[in-house]
Amino acid sequence: MDPITINPQEAADALKQADAAERRSARAYVYQRFAPYLLLWGLIWVAGYGATDLVPRVAGWIWLGLVLVALAVSMAIGRRAEPGRLGPKSNWRYSLFFVAVWAFFASTYAVMAPVSGMQQGAFPPLVVAFIYILLGLWTGPRLVIAGLVVGALTLGGFFYLPQHFLLWEGFVGGGALILAGLWFRRV
Amino acid sequence: MAELDAVIHQPVRLKIMAALKALPINEQIEFVRLRKLVEATEGNLGAHIQTLEQAGYVAVEKDFADNRPRTRVKLTKQGRRAFEDYVAYLRGIISPES
Repeated sequence: MDPITINPQEAADALKQADAAERRSARAYVYQRFAPYLLLWGLIWVAGYGATDLVPRVAGWIWLGLVLVALAVSMAIGRRAEPGRLGPKSNWRYSLFFVAVWAFFASTYAVMAPVSGMQQGAFPPLVVAFIYILLGLWTGPRLVIAGLVVGALTLGGFFYLPQHFLLWEGFVGGGALILAGLWFRRV
Repeated sequence: MAELDAVIHQPVRLKIMAALKALPINEQIEFVRLRKLVEATEGNLGAHIQTLEQAGYVAVEKDFADNRPRTRVKLTKQGRRAFEDYVAYLRGIISPES
């Protein structure tokens, strides 16, 4: 076979094609890895906020139980995504990650006290929305959109539907996360 | 690299190699996802994957997941190196002095 010869313009076009395919693949990979966590947290929000609205007295215990479930499922998702790569150290990382998140919110509520139940309910989704937007600026627009939607729905419910805020956050906020998870699974 | 790699220098194969290069080392991608990423038909993608596999650039694994046949593809070490050489060659054409 004769060697192929190409000119600088053809070389530039080929590089451009390769770069576009690489970027698209990298984004799709990030979305795919995020998807199960969005679905998981969407379900946790539906269950947590829904239950908090129904039985507010035991909301703390409900959330503690749900977070423990989320921790176990997150570890299972991580193991499935990277079989053989996640050793015992990863279990500790997951656990410490959740402890750190828990400590962050507990200490924030402590220094901001007194905070109402509604404020407590609105703060985590706003932090999540903020993190998604920041991550999305580097990884892909779908995360930015998911963050904006969750943030806007949270603020909308907080200011315009205060009497049903927890239900709103559970079903609309949680539902938005579930839909985002399904969207992230698509190429 | 003395000359352009003819195996990679084909639009669909170039996209396949670039898409696989973007994944972490040894990460596999399902055939169906790859087909959507490179926007190729099933038959077309299959033929190009076969060419890349014969060159040793990709490894194909077929198994069953949830009782359904599944085909997964990954870039080999040789393929990663070949793609890097290919990109370097193209850059050399654009900026010969670099």
